[in-house]
Amino acid sequence: MTPRRAAIAEGWPVLVTVVVVGIAFGLTARQAGLSVLETSATSVILFAGAAQFVMIDLLRTGAPAPFIVLAVLLLNARHLLMAAAVRPFVATASQIERAGLAYVLTDEAFAMGIGWFRRGHRDLTYFAVIGVLLWCFWNAGTLLGATFGAGVEEPQRFGIDFAITAVFVAIVAISVRHRGDAVVAAAAVLVAAGLRLAGASAVAVVAAGALAPLVAFGLRARRR
Amino acid sequence: MTFWVTVVAAGIATYLTRSLPLVVTLRGSAPEWLRSYLDALPIAIIAALAGAGIAVPDSQPTGGAEIGAAFVALAATAWRRNLLFAVVAGVAAVAALRAAGL
Repeated sequence: MTPRRAAIAEGWPVLVTVVVVGIAFGLTARQAGLSVLETSATSVILFAGAAQFVMIDLLRTGAPAPFIVLAVLLLNARHLLMAAAVRPFVATASQIERAGLAYVLTDEAFAMGIGWFRRGHRDLTYFAVIGVLLWCFWNAGTLLGATFGAGVEEPQRFGIDFAITAVFVAIVAISVRHRGDAVVAAAAVLVAAGLRLAGASAVAVVAAGALAPLVAFGLRARRR
Repeated sequence: MTFWVTVVAAGIATYLTRSLPLVVTLRGSAPEWLRSYLDALPIAIIAALAGAGIAVPDSQPTGGAEIGAAFVALAATAWRRNLLFAVVAGVAAVAALRAAGL
């Protein structure tokens, strides 16, 4: 199977989810008072699901602009870690290709792309196709939700907001290769959940993601 | 106006987090400990995203529905190893558990 085919065959469940979450975003932004143009511009310029929801929430509650930008920066700081993890695989790419890949480096593209690289592939087509398709589906969903979504009330009742979390759970479960992976994953889940419950919304994922791999070192040291 | 300044500044901040490690080149090869750290990093980040989404799904701490649904999604993945099947199972479970009052 060509990388492009593989990207579509493996990626479509994620794409379906992204459209649905995009619709939820379009809805939420319109309900918070943004115009259709402003809502779509947010999805084009940021292209970052969680950060966009946080931004809308802060705008709605009248937070000052520097505070909103700082919150988005902290929330997206996890992408520094993702880009660092992807870096070895883009060694042969040109600067322009890297700049383009960076624009589509989302949680979902990262999760799918790193899975492809871990199976031993070295081409960037899979990652690029997933990234571009995610961009198209996210923006199509946003526009749909912003334009037609006014009649839907309480999307939470249908559990749609949980779809993206379920995607992450499934990707973790699929990519665990040995006991060490499972321990790191469990540590990350618990630390992120604990920090989030303690009120640290923006730093929870960054801190948990950065700290949990250290557990792997502890395991290895004990085995020696 | 404030909206556009905010969204553009937030967009630049987002792009910098995604592009800097990819575009800026550091000299030398990574030591062994750094490579094994970076190897464990992806699964840690994705698991952290899951953990955060389960604990506080919608700016309110979970009432238990998301925890139950996460285990359903986990079991569904173990059973079929199919992403969409796991997502549908997770969403259906969270809707059912929320309807049950959790």
